Amino acid sequence: MKKIIAITCFLFAAQSLLAQLNLTLALSGRPPATLTEWGNRKDVLTLIIGPAQSVSVDVKIKTTIKTLDGTVVGATNLNTAKIFTPQPGASIILNSLDVLPLENVVFTGKYQSTLVKTGKLPADNYMLCVQLVRATDYAPASAEVCKTFYLAAYQLPILTQPANEDILNAKLAQTAITFRWAPVVPTSPTPVTYRIRVFEILENQHDVQALRSNQPLLDKNVIGTTQFIWQPQISMMPYAGEENKPDSSNKKIPGKKFIWTIQTLDNLGQPLNPTDGNGESLSEPKVFYVAEKNKGIKSPGE
Amino acid sequence: MALNCFCVHAQTKKPSFSVSGTMGVSYEGYGLDRNPAGWTGYTPRRPWNQVRFNFMPNFQFGKNFSLPFNINLAALPTNFAGPYSGFIPGGPKQSFKQWIANPVNNIAVNPKYKWAELQLGTQYLRYSELSTGDIGVFGAGFDLKPKQYRFKFFMGTSQPGINYFAGPPSITGAFKRSNWMFQIGKEREGKYEVAFNFAKGKDFISSSMPPPLTIKPQEGFVTSLVTNIFFNKGWYLKLEGAQSIFTKDLTTSSTTLIKSFEPFIKAHTSTTRDYAGSGAFGKKGKNFDIGVSTKYFGAGFQTVGYPYLQPDRLDYTVNTKWNTWKNKMNIVASLGQRVNNVSSTTLRANQFIGNLNWFTQFNDKWSLNVNYNNFGFQSASGINPYGIKNVSNDLGISPTYTWSNSKMSNLLSFSYNYSKYDERDVLTGLTTSNNTHTALLTYVPSYFTKDITPDFSAMYFYNDVPLAKTKLATISSGLSMPVAKKKIQLRGQLQYNLVKLNAYKGDNNFIASCSVDWKITKQFSWNTFLSTNYFKYGDSIVPNGANYLESTCRTGFQYKFDTKKTK
Repeated sequence: MKKIIAITCFLFAAQSLLAQLNLTLALSGRPPATLTEWGNRKDVLTLIIGPAQSVSVDVKIKTTIKTLDGTVVGATNLNTAKIFTPQPGASIILNSLDVLPLENVVFTGKYQSTLVKTGKLPADNYMLCVQLVRATDYAPASAEVCKTFYLAAYQLPILTQPANEDILNAKLAQTAITFRWAPVVPTSPTPVTYRIRVFEILENQHDVQALRSNQPLLDKNVIGTTQFIWQPQISMMPYAGEENKPDSSNKKIPGKKFIWTIQTLDNLGQPLNPTDGNGESLSEPKVFYVAEKNKGIKSPGE
Repeated sequence: MALNCFCVHAQTKKPSFSVSGTMGVSYEGYGLDRNPAGWTGYTPRRPWNQVRFNFMPNFQFGKNFSLPFNINLAALPTNFAGPYSGFIPGGPKQSFKQWIANPVNNIAVNPKYKWAELQLGTQYLRYSELSTGDIGVFGAGFDLKPKQYRFKFFMGTSQPGINYFAGPPSITGAFKRSNWMFQIGKEREGKYEVAFNFAKGKDFISSSMPPPLTIKPQEGFVTSLVTNIFFNKGWYLKLEGAQSIFTKDLTTSSTTLIKSFEPFIKAHTSTTRDYAGSGAFGKKGKNFDIGVSTKYFGAGFQTVGYPYLQPDRLDYTVNTKWNTWKNKMNIVASLGQRVNNVSSTTLRANQFIGNLNWFTQFNDKWSLNVNYNNFGFQSASGINPYGIKNVSNDLGISPTYTWSNSKMSNLLSFSYNYSKYDERDVLTGLTTSNNTHTALLTYVPSYFTKDITPDFSAMYFYNDVPLAKTKLATISSGLSMPVAKKKIQLRGQLQYNLVKLNAYKGDNNFIASCSVDWKITKQFSWNTFLSTNYFKYGDSIVPNGANYLESTCRTGFQYKFDTKKTK
C-alpha cells in the first residue's frame, strides 16, 4: 500500500512538474501563404519552451491548425513526431521547421487537396495551436497556446496596357506611352512598389531573351498607383529595315518591338512573393510594337 | 568573298549549293552629359559601348542537306533582370560557362538532312503553349519528322550556377539548371497534330556558392497532350491539357504525403501537382474569322519552360474579324473575362476585357478608324474596408483624308483618343479618375516626280489626375530620300516636346535622329543611325534648369548571303 501511495505521489509530482513547462508562441499575423516558406523565414514562427523544473523529460510537439470555428485543418502525426528533451535551467527556441514539420502534418479533406495542388491553404483566418505532450503516452505536458493568423496568397499584377502584341502609333509612342496594370491582390498591409521596366527586343532576339539580357530603357519605381505615363524620348525610327511580325498580323511591319514587366517589391525593397514562379516577383511580361501607322501600317487584323 | 568564289565554283558542280542568310558586325555607342555637374536625376539607359556580331548563314547542299548557323554575340554582358542580372560592365566577370549560356549570346547550328534535324547549341524550342518555349537551353538534341511521325528531344543547361554577390552591382544568383524535353507525336500539316510533350528542369543545389538569398533550388516536370485538328472551310479545334509536378524548394524534406512521379520527380513538402488546359475553336476565312478560346492555369501549375507564367487563372475570350463592304470595312473585336485566383488560396478577382477596332474606307479619299477598349478589374482587398475596383475606358477616333493631283498625293490624318482610368482607394472608398486626352494631326505629302518623302505632325496630350495635370505638346517632322543613285537611303527626324506639369515652368525636349543606309553592293550594306535627345527641366525639379544630353550611335556592316541555287 505504501508503495502504491509512493508511486502515485511520484507520478502526481512528475505530472505537476511537467505541467509547469511554459510555452511562448510568436506567430506573424500574416505569414507567407506557401507553408514551406515559413521554414525559410525566421520571423514567421518562434516557439520557446521554458526550462524544465527539476528533471528532464521527453516531449513531443502537438501542433494543430484550425479554422476560427474550431474545425481542425491539420495536425501533427504524434507517432512520427520528433522528440525534444527540455533540460532544467535551459530554454529551447524552435522555429517553423520544428513546430510545423510539413512532412509530419496530416491535413484533412479539401485542405489536403488544396495544399497538394498549390502548396497553400485556402485564403482564410486560421488558428495555430501548440501543446507539448509526453513522448510516452501523449499526455499533456503543457498548456495549449494558440495564435490566429490570416492566410492569403499574393497575386502579382497583371499587365493590361499596352495589351500583348499591341501595335502603337510611332508618332504617339514617341511622345508618351501609357502603362497600366492590375494591382497586387490582396492589398498589402504595407505599401508596395511597382518597378516597371521596358526592354527593347533587338533583331534576332527572342522576347524573354531580351528581358534577360538587355539594359532596360525604362526602370522606374511607382508607388500607390497602377498607371505610369512614360515619355520615352527615343526616336522610334527603325534601324536598318528593322521589322517584326506580330502573331495577329499576316505580314512583317517595320518598327521596334519592346517587352515590359512589373516587379512588385515590399516595403523593404524585396520581392513581395518570392516563393511563386520566377522567385523575383516579376509579372508575366507582355510585348508591344511601335510602328509608323501612316506608312502602310494598320491596326492588328486590318 | 571567298564564299562567293566557292559559289561560282559550285555552279559547275552537282549537287547544287547555295547560301542565304546574313552576317555582320555593329557598334552601339551611348553618351550622357548631365548638368549641373553631380546631378544624378537621370540615369543612363544603354550600355556606353557595345559591339554585336551575328553570323546566320544557311548553307544548302543539294536538295536535302542544310546547315544553318545562328550565332549572335555581344562583346559586353548587359543583364539587368532574371538570373543573369548583375553581369554588366564593371560587375563580376563571367566564367566561360556563364558566357556561353548568357542569353545575350546565342551559338547554335542545326544541320538538317531530309526530315532529320540535329540541334546543337542554344535553342529556343517551343514544343507547346503549356510545356516549354520561353527560355534558351544550351545543349544538344534532335527533331525528327519521318513521314507523319514526330520525335523531338533536347537536353542541356538553361542557366549555369551563378553565385550570389552583394554588389554593387548585386547579383541575385542562380542555381545551375539542367533541362530536357521530349515530344512524340503525329502530324499531317494542315490536317491534324497530336503530340505528347514531356519537359523537365532541375537545379543543382551545390552549383552556387554562396547561394542566392531569395531564390530556391527547384525541380519541375510537366507532361502535356496537344491535339490540333483543322477541318474543311477553315474550321479548327486546338486543345492542350497539361499536368505539372513542381518542387519549389529542393531543400525541403521529402515526403510521402504527396505522390511522387518517379523516376522523373520525387515529392518534397514543397511539391505541388496541378493542371492547366487550353482550348480554341473557331473558323478562319478570307473575310470572316470567329473563335472562342479559353485557358486555365491551376494555382500550383508551374513549368520551368515558362518561368514567368502567372498561374491561378481562367481566361475565356471570343474573337472575331470581319471584312465586308467589298473589303472596305474591317471590324476586329474581342470580348473576354479573366478570373484570377480560382484556387481560392487568395481573393477572387475578375477582369473584364473588351476591344473593338472598326475601320471603314468610305471612298478613295475618306477613311475612318474607331477603336474602343474597356478593361475592368474587381476584387476584395483583404482586411481593408473597400474592395479593389479599377476600370479603364479608351475611345479613339481617327479620320484620314487623302487627295492627289498630277504632281503629288497628300494624306491628312487626325487622331483623337480619350482615356478614362478609375481607381478606387481601398481605405476611403473614393474613386480617383485619371483622364487623358490625346490629339494627333499628321500630314504626309508624296511627290510623284521627286524622291523625297516628308511628313509633319503635331500632337497634344493632356493627363489629369488629382494634384497633377500634365500637358505635352509635340511637333515633329521627318524626311526620307534616296541619294547616290538610290544606293543610299537617308532618313531624318526632328521632334520638339514641351512638357508642362501643373503651374511649373515647362520642360523642353528636343530629339533629332537620322539614319544612313548605304547599299555598297547588292549584298553588302553599311547602316548608321544617330540620335540625340536634349531635355531641359523648368522648375519642376531641384535643381531648377537641370538638363541632359543623351546621344546614341549605332553603325554596322551587314553582308547578305544570296547565292543562286544552281544545278
